[in-house]
Amino acid sequence: MTVLNPAGAVSARHTLWDAPKKAAVSVVELAACLNPLVLNRLREMGLEPGQPLICLGRGPFNGPVVVQIQDCVYTLEQQVAQHILIEPQL
Amino acid sequence: MKKIVLVGKPNSGKSLLFNQLTGLRQKVANYPGVTVELKSGRFEQFELIDYPGAYSLSSLSRDEEIAVNKLNEALQDPNTALVICNLDATRLESSLMFGLQVQALARAHQKALVFALNMADELQRFGHQLDTAALSAALGSPVFAISAKTLLGIHEFRQGLLALANAAEPAVPALEHGDEQALRQFSRSLARTYGLASSVVLKNQNRIDRFMLNNLSGGLAFLLVMFLLFQSIFTLAAPLMDAVEAGIGAVAHWVTGFIGEGTTSDFLNDAIFGGVGSFLVFVPQIMMLTLIIGLLEDSGYLARAALICHRPLSYFGLSGRSFIPYLSGHACAIPAIMAARTIESPRKRLITMMTIPLMACSARLPVYALLISVLIPERAYLGGLVNLQGVAFFGLYLMGIIVALLVSLMLSRFVVSRDEKSDMPFILELPNYRLPHWKPLIVRVMSAAKSFVYRSGPVIFAVTVLIWLFGYFPHDAGGLEHSYLGQIGHFIEPVFEPLGLDWRYGVAILMSFLAREVFVGALGTLFGIDGADENIAGLAANIQADGLAFGAGFGLLLFYVVALQCVATVATIRAETGSNRIAAGLVIGYGLLAYALAYLAANLL
Ligand SMILES: Nc1nc2c(ncn2[C@@H]2O[C@H](COP(=O)(O)OP(=O)(O)OP(=O)(O)O)[C@@H](O)[C@H]2O)c(=O)[nH]1
Ligand SMILES: [Mg+2]
Repeated sequence: MTVLNPAGAVSARHTLWDAPKKAAVSVVELAACLNPLVLNRLREMGLEPGQPLICLGRGPFNGPVVVQIQDCVYTLEQQVAQHILIEPQL
Repeated sequence: MKKIVLVGKPNSGKSLLFNQLTGLRQKVANYPGVTVELKSGRFEQFELIDYPGAYSLSSLSRDEEIAVNKLNEALQDPNTALVICNLDATRLESSLMFGLQVQALARAHQKALVFALNMADELQRFGHQLDTAALSAALGSPVFAISAKTLLGIHEFRQGLLALANAAEPAVPALEHGDEQALRQFSRSLARTYGLASSVVLKNQNRIDRFMLNNLSGGLAFLLVMFLLFQSIFTLAAPLMDAVEAGIGAVAHWVTGFIGEGTTSDFLNDAIFGGVGSFLVFVPQIMMLTLIIGLLEDSGYLARAALICHRPLSYFGLSGRSFIPYLSGHACAIPAIMAARTIESPRKRLITMMTIPLMACSARLPVYALLISVLIPERAYLGGLVNLQGVAFFGLYLMGIIVALLVSLMLSRFVVSRDEKSDMPFILELPNYRLPHWKPLIVRVMSAAKSFVYRSGPVIFAVTVLIWLFGYFPHDAGGLEHSYLGQIGHFIEPVFEPLGLDWRYGVAILMSFLAREVFVGALGTLFGIDGADENIAGLAANIQADGLAFGAGFGLLLFYVVALQCVATVATIRAETGSNRIAAGLVIGYGLLAYALAYLAANLL
């Protein structure tokens, strides 16, 4: 797998929403346009730059993403997941 | 009284711990957001208070807001002797951050704090030893590893609590760990040193989820679970119901044979055995429903079901989080409306609350079951696996859900909320799968049966006695038609005539605005007075013999699917929305819709 260069990493295509199933990725940043309350919650869930994540997949029929953050599994809907920018784990 | 407050992350086992310490029976279930209001009980000489769970000290949903606000109040209260921060010991990495935040808050208010690391039985199963002494030293607060389920370490914990809460000098957290950033780093390093590896904790869960959340198998599993849920309420409970019915019949026969004919015997036969008895028949169904919902709640599957439903529900202006209130609305609307507090978006919460009354609650069960056995022949297919009456039942449940979704769709076009939180997204933690905790489940099933009888029993008794008195007398006038009740009945008949129903149904419907299940008791009494001597044969058979047109009967079913006939539900909606207009609007709106549907069915079918 090619390693993304840092400038290209923050492209719209690399969000948690379109991360492939079973991918081990890490957080690049959370988009600032998120509601501050939600942003804060995501941070407290551990979604800080550099945090490793495992995408476990999707709910049936293109449903919310299922992602393992630390020792918890969460499901996030598109509205949030597409604002979480990620890169493949190095 | 001095207080001990019990806070922690959602689904960390606070309520089970609370139950063990107080001997009370708060609802415990395996999904986040079970407890939505404060509950207190007595632990020795203290008042112990169970809180809703919170992920953080800045809240997103209503239940979290309650937890956080009330925690702040408790910390300012001089009577608060101790804060218990309950965390899931198997998930230290994601729990300690919250623990440290609470600890800092307690420290700021000079309150004593103790950490309860719950689920120690699971740690043990994974063969992990938690060094509580070292963790306690690092945290600067006492730490107990306990299991609220197996009671591991509970004895020491009790002693510890009493010592801490009684201490003259409160055990204020000894160490200061710095700002948010520092707390986060500290919690990580602690979790790495003392915690269980996430790959170990999540292995089982992720393996099952690969199946349960898969496109094909997950979708099928969901449909199967839902179908079995509703089908089994009918089929599994049927033998028990027959047994109860036969039992009541036998007792009635014995008692009336003993007393001999006359007014007393008529009264017992019509009002007691025919009226009250016809509603006791449904107790097994209530128990079955509670059992199956309880099993689902304990298993951890409900959070997955919420996930699966999120997308379809969003289309109707609801959230995946609406799923659990909707499901529990099938037992009773009142706790379900409360449970809607966990829905982050106030707008979706409001729509959910307004449509929960359409879920086929257990008070409708007797009405549905009665009318189905009148209208639908008993037939089984696929070697007894699928039962026609069971399918009809499923259809009625489905109809309630479909109407609810359509109403939601409409409401979502109208309800606008300018609240900052109005568009909170769907974020849900998926808990570990667990085997059911049998003892509390059995207790819950029994208490559901008991409360059904105690809650509805007196009302039904009073109504049936009243109906009997007015329907029986004057006795020599020529039967029910010419009784006092008959005279009143004929007066209201024009209202029900367009629905193809005579005045006896009208009386039963009006009475059921007190509580839906009264319908069956009232009708049982009326047909009892009206019928032949051996009217214990079963109300359904009596109604069949009397002749109820299919269209009118089906319309009656539709009426009960839609109409909001429960005083307690209306009161809860009023309390939770703070609006008289919404509550009154729902009663009138659903009432008119119910009448219109019944009219159409009676005249078109
Ligand atoms: N194995 C195990 N399971 C436990 C233990 N304590 C609680 N549970 C289970 O964990 C789940 C959650 O328990 P609750 O007591 O409802 O959790 P809660 O913290 O009150 O949850 P909320 O009210 O949603 O915040 C239930 O399925 C319990 O049976 C424990 O010590 N060991
Ligand atoms: Mg609880």
